[in-house]
Amino acid sequence: MTLARTASAERRPLALRWAPYLLISPTVVLIAVFLVYPIGSVLYYSLQHYNLTRPWANGFAGLDNFREMLFEDPLFWSSLGFTAQWVLVEIVLQLVLGLALALIVNESFIGRGLARSLVFSPWAVSGVLTTSIWILLYNPTTGIVRYLGAPEAAVLGNPDTVFGALVITELWRGVPFFAILLLAGLAGIPGELYEAAAVDGAGRVRRFLHVTLPHLRDAIVLATLLRSVWEFNNVDLIYTLTGGGPAQATTTLPLYVAQRAIDSKDFGYGSALTTAGFLILLFCSLLYLRLSRFGADHKG
Amino acid sequence: MRRITKVCSAAVAALALCVTAAACGSDSGGGGGGGEGSGATTITFWDNNGGVRTPIYQELIKRFEAANPTIKVEYVGIPIASVQQKYDTAIAGGETPDVGGVTTSYLANLTGQQALEPADAWLAGSAVNGKVLDSMLASVKQATPDGKLYMVPATSNLDVVWYQKDKLAEAGVEAPETWDEFFTAVGKLTKTPDQYGWTIRGGAGSIFQLLAEAYAYSGVTEFFDASGKSTVNDPANAELVGKIAALYKKATPEADVTNDFPKMVAQFTSGKVAMMHHNLGSYNDHVKAFGAEKIDAYPLPVGASGKRTIVANPVDGFGVFKNSEHKEAAWKFVEFLVSKENNSYWNQQTGQIPANKDAQQDAWIDERPYLKSAVEVLADPATVVVSPPYHLPQFSSITKADTEPLFQKVLLGQMKPQEFLDTMGQMLTEAQAEWKKSHSN
Repeated sequence: MTLARTASAERRPLALRWAPYLLISPTVVLIAVFLVYPIGSVLYYSLQHYNLTRPWANGFAGLDNFREMLFEDPLFWSSLGFTAQWVLVEIVLQLVLGLALALIVNESFIGRGLARSLVFSPWAVSGVLTTSIWILLYNPTTGIVRYLGAPEAAVLGNPDTVFGALVITELWRGVPFFAILLLAGLAGIPGELYEAAAVDGAGRVRRFLHVTLPHLRDAIVLATLLRSVWEFNNVDLIYTLTGGGPAQATTTLPLYVAQRAIDSKDFGYGSALTTAGFLILLFCSLLYLRLSRFGADHKG
Repeated sequence: MRRITKVCSAAVAALALCVTAAACGSDSGGGGGGGEGSGATTITFWDNNGGVRTPIYQELIKRFEAANPTIKVEYVGIPIASVQQKYDTAIAGGETPDVGGVTTSYLANLTGQQALEPADAWLAGSAVNGKVLDSMLASVKQATPDGKLYMVPATSNLDVVWYQKDKLAEAGVEAPETWDEFFTAVGKLTKTPDQYGWTIRGGAGSIFQLLAEAYAYSGVTEFFDASGKSTVNDPANAELVGKIAALYKKATPEADVTNDFPKMVAQFTSGKVAMMHHNLGSYNDHVKAFGAEKIDAYPLPVGASGKRTIVANPVDGFGVFKNSEHKEAAWKFVEFLVSKENNSYWNQQTGQIPANKDAQQDAWIDERPYLKSAVEVLADPATVVVSPPYHLPQFSSITKADTEPLFQKVLLGQMKPQEFLDTMGQMLTEAQAEWKKSHSN
């Protein structure tokens, strides 16, 4: 019996050696096809002159695209600046408002189920539908501006108001996302901790600061990180609402990529811009995870 | 247990590979479609301005299929805003249609990618030979470096100003002949915020209209001077841009800064705007909104030179694609579309000028005063025609993605008209020089 088992155990590694590879092969194949190849081709084209409208000038470019981007293209820097402003304002407001909403619907009150579904409903609406609704709301002739004492005011056509209009629209869609994730985090906090804190004489504010927030840390880090990357790459909402205008006032880096690569057909330069965006996101994500010590075992 | 694991993993791997292969391998179809089993040939036709025109093509295709029972036409309506991108993608993927609507504004881009079949030999042996307007054939040939005919013209267009007749009558204004009269009329027609005299196209497609206005105003006759320098930034052109920008928000809605074609037309057809610059092509939208008797159009006003100067509109027509497997059937369809009766039907429905000389003689043209005057303007030997450099593959991106935001800056007061035109002029001059260099050897 013992002998037989030993013999089969010796054979097993041989047969099993391939099993893990076989099991992960579908994932590896899919990642290779849908991630490694596209990323590789973007990196490749970022080093090429590849412009459909100037076929005679196509060819290896070395770092020309990157040199132009960093030193000769003011739009790269202005779109990057706008992207940073956009991500920062959106994430801070979404976090604060999402946390507030999560705390409210976490309390017990009559009609809580209904309130929760209402809070989350904007998240379930598709991006293009959201923008269609808001385009109607911002319409100078038929939208809400009529009631704000400014008939025919083009909120999306005025550089002074367009940023605020975009922020409000994205908040409407983005706050529920934070609320959902944070509510899930809130549900995981044991009730006795609050009781113990109350017994110790902690008021609402102190309970929030010393019990709620520390327990939500991972949820907050995850939500802000995911959302930052999303907001950085946000194309659907801004593109459909303003197309990056007026006069490039709301052009984010991904929108600028779309303009250069798709409208101007300069895929080489567009790839260089994409590479820059990829590196910036990678660096910021790693830095953020490092600074926030995400997933680290935290003890009080 | 081990066996089950093995079988499962193998099955999962196989399944994943199938999914992957299916996702990557959708390379069938397109490029003609092939036979239908009954011996019929199916050709794919891309309409480069799908939407309002779709029913016109559906009718024409019905007629064509009745006359040619062995050919089936598969209609694909591409929205005008994305047609160039769709063609580029199709060319890159080798999935072009058999025949498609093409205009000279992106013809050079298509021939640069060697996507189209020349029509010269085919036209020479066709029944419509000699029937297509020579000036249109010439401008198609001008748009490509080798001077071949890569598309067959079907229609001609002209920039006009559409207006609501009753609004002008109410204000006691006649259709303006000169730019001075035009600006006076705009002032008289403006009663903010209930009525605006004018609307500016500030969003997608703004530059072409603006240039048509600028050259009509300045009377400059060529896009490039003898030394190859662009004339776009001529001081008189800049003067007109400044005058138009000065109307923004005073005689036009604030939303104009981001107006593309649908928004501009929506503004006009809502009745709030009295006059709007577009071309003959939007006739149907206005008739639908106001009724044919309520609207009319006049050609762009004449400037200080006293000579009517027009910027040639892109010629719209049909091209057969190089990698079509059914070129004969595709040509047959093109020939059918540009023949007298069908060309007349198409243009009557869209409100444009037929490319077929015989069709131009049809009675319906005389019944529409705006169209009759447009035909006269185009036929008048005194009319100065400025030909935009459609041969430059970058012309489209220079006049769209590169400079549309700059015109918005001008409207918003962030940029001077002269600076804006200087920037555009420099791009055009450089593109022209580069093109000359690359085509001289």
